[in-house]
Amino acid sequence: MALAALLRRMTPLDRLIVLVLLLASAAAFALIGHGPRGTRVVVERQGQVIFSAPLGVDRTVTLNGPLGETQLRIRDGHAGIISSPCAHKVCIGMGQIAQQGELLACVPNDLLVRIEGQEAEEPSHDLISR
Amino acid sequence: MSLNRPLVILLLFGVLALFALQQCRDKPQSLSRSRLLMGTVVEITVLGDAPEGLEGAVTEAFAALERVEQLMSAHFSNSDVARLNASGEAVEVSPETAAVLALGQRIAEASGGTFDMTLGRLIQLWGMETAEPHVPDPAEIAPTLMDIGPRALRIEGTRISKRAPDLQVDLGGIAKGYAVDQAIEALRRAGVTHASVNAGGDIRLLGDRQGRPWRIGIQHPRHAQTILVTLELEQVAVVTSGDYERFFERDGIRYHHLFDPRSGFPARLCQSVTVLAPSAAEADALATAAFVLGPEAGLSFIASWPHAEALLVAADGRRLLSDGLKDRVKWP
Amino acid sequence: MTSSAVDPQLLARVRRRIFLALFIALAVALHTLEFLLPSPAPWFRLGFANILTLTALFLYGGRAAWVVTLARVGIGSLVVGNLFSPGFLLSLCGGITATALMTSARALGGRHIGPVGVSALGAVGHAAGQLFVAWLVLVRHAGLWQLFPFFLLFALGTGIANGIAADLLLELLRSHSAFRTPVAAENGLESRISP
Repeated sequence: MALAALLRRMTPLDRLIVLVLLLASAAAFALIGHGPRGTRVVVERQGQVIFSAPLGVDRTVTLNGPLGETQLRIRDGHAGIISSPCAHKVCIGMGQIAQQGELLACVPNDLLVRIEGQEAEEPSHDLISR
Repeated sequence: MSLNRPLVILLLFGVLALFALQQCRDKPQSLSRSRLLMGTVVEITVLGDAPEGLEGAVTEAFAALERVEQLMSAHFSNSDVARLNASGEAVEVSPETAAVLALGQRIAEASGGTFDMTLGRLIQLWGMETAEPHVPDPAEIAPTLMDIGPRALRIEGTRISKRAPDLQVDLGGIAKGYAVDQAIEALRRAGVTHASVNAGGDIRLLGDRQGRPWRIGIQHPRHAQTILVTLELEQVAVVTSGDYERFFERDGIRYHHLFDPRSGFPARLCQSVTVLAPSAAEADALATAAFVLGPEAGLSFIASWPHAEALLVAADGRRLLSDGLKDRVKWP
Repeated sequence: MTSSAVDPQLLARVRRRIFLALFIALAVALHTLEFLLPSPAPWFRLGFANILTLTALFLYGGRAAWVVTLARVGIGSLVVGNLFSPGFLLSLCGGITATALMTSARALGGRHIGPVGVSALGAVGHAAGQLFVAWLVLVRHAGLWQLFPFFLLFALGTGIANGIAADLLLELLRSHSAFRTPVAAENGLESRISP
């Protein structure tokens, strides 16, 4: 009922404009991607964080686990596992992650790689020790 | 309509009042004050609920800093240190100065003499504090290193005697830390539970930052605008000794203020050392010692001191972390 | 209220000025009120003051709309206290983009476009203008554009709401003789500028 009242106040052109803008914002959503890009890569084992680094800086990290060394590569804002001593290499098959909340895991080697963080509104540090 | 309107207006007022109240309640009080003391900018930040109480606490803390400066700075002719330097015989000092000297002596002993409070003559020779520092001859340096070391001072209660009459005491590597500790004590006595005292990079934290740890950035020793790493800390002291803070250059070589007592020249094995310890006085002295000792020796020295952790940047840029820090570091 | 002894053109001009001043005052009041309200996120503003810009646009034309907007942004920032701060810059640029879009939409659309459509365009223009300036001047970070779809949707919603409010207000005002146009007064006709 309210919608009908709303539509009555709009001319045909008004309705067209609103429709077009609605479609434009839908398109914007699709283009940007359904998730905010993360800012940090966090590696955990048994719930403990063993490594943390920003997504924006390219680097290759060696992570130690019960089976041996797993190599994690951060490049071009993506993180992916490039080598691991596990039997089936499922973790490598998981590919690259970049969006907040995405995960990679090497279960045999007990490693969990997470992307977290949005642009922090808070400063990265309160004080500097020099 | 005439029934509804006053009700609607009342409701709107109620809603507005709710918003207004919310604005007041949500912001935790934080107070930050800075002053020039001890040759650097000292900033004290306190967090809490009652703004008037906080202001008073900060004033007490600055008073404590001034008091320590009056006691231990050689620039004040009446300070304990100045009197000790001027005299050839035993001198009575305040209990605080005696305590600092005692702590310093323990660290000097434990560090194999790499932390030394009796380098006053050496520092004067180099002229680091003056407008015209210069590189001295080895021949000039030798006499300034005589009689120094962990046994140079004898401490009997508050009575201090020097091994040689012309020995000059310089507490630059420990007094600032002690002052920071006293400021924290003053804050604690005033009932503050969350605060930070930052004396030119020598930091001590009281509690956490109300719900989250303090984020302390460590200055990158070679890139001035950059943070090397961020540490999430609470209730601990953080002091960094670096070769980039006070120095002069001659013929392309940089000479900084952290001297190796064994050679009389600036220590060259590290770029910077950051030490975490329960008190800033300890952190200050330990950082100086570890800097002189170098990366591996410094790290094992810190490991041998209870409740101390360190991050060392070696001369070649390698970063070394003590065991307790390995999992707590956030690289930028 | 109309007196036959007074030149209707002069009367209409004076009335117009007075009412524009009133609109500006109301717009400033709404602008300030908005600042006091907690917002879901920074920069997601409801834009109530645009209702007055719209009203001025439909009653008195494009120039009147510009007057109301610019005066509102200037005086509003004095009242709120952020003159020449980044927030003011964003407000100003958003407002300019929005008003430009709205006046051109009105000029191009004429009878075919109503307050809701104009307001929707204006709100979206405001959001886009603000975001663009924010990117240019404040936050040179591509990540800012992640916000754009949300901004757009939110602006569309508030645009429609403001448009409805403006339409209601216009309906109310036009039924009063004080808002007849000079042409209409001359011809003795009751006319509406747009449906």
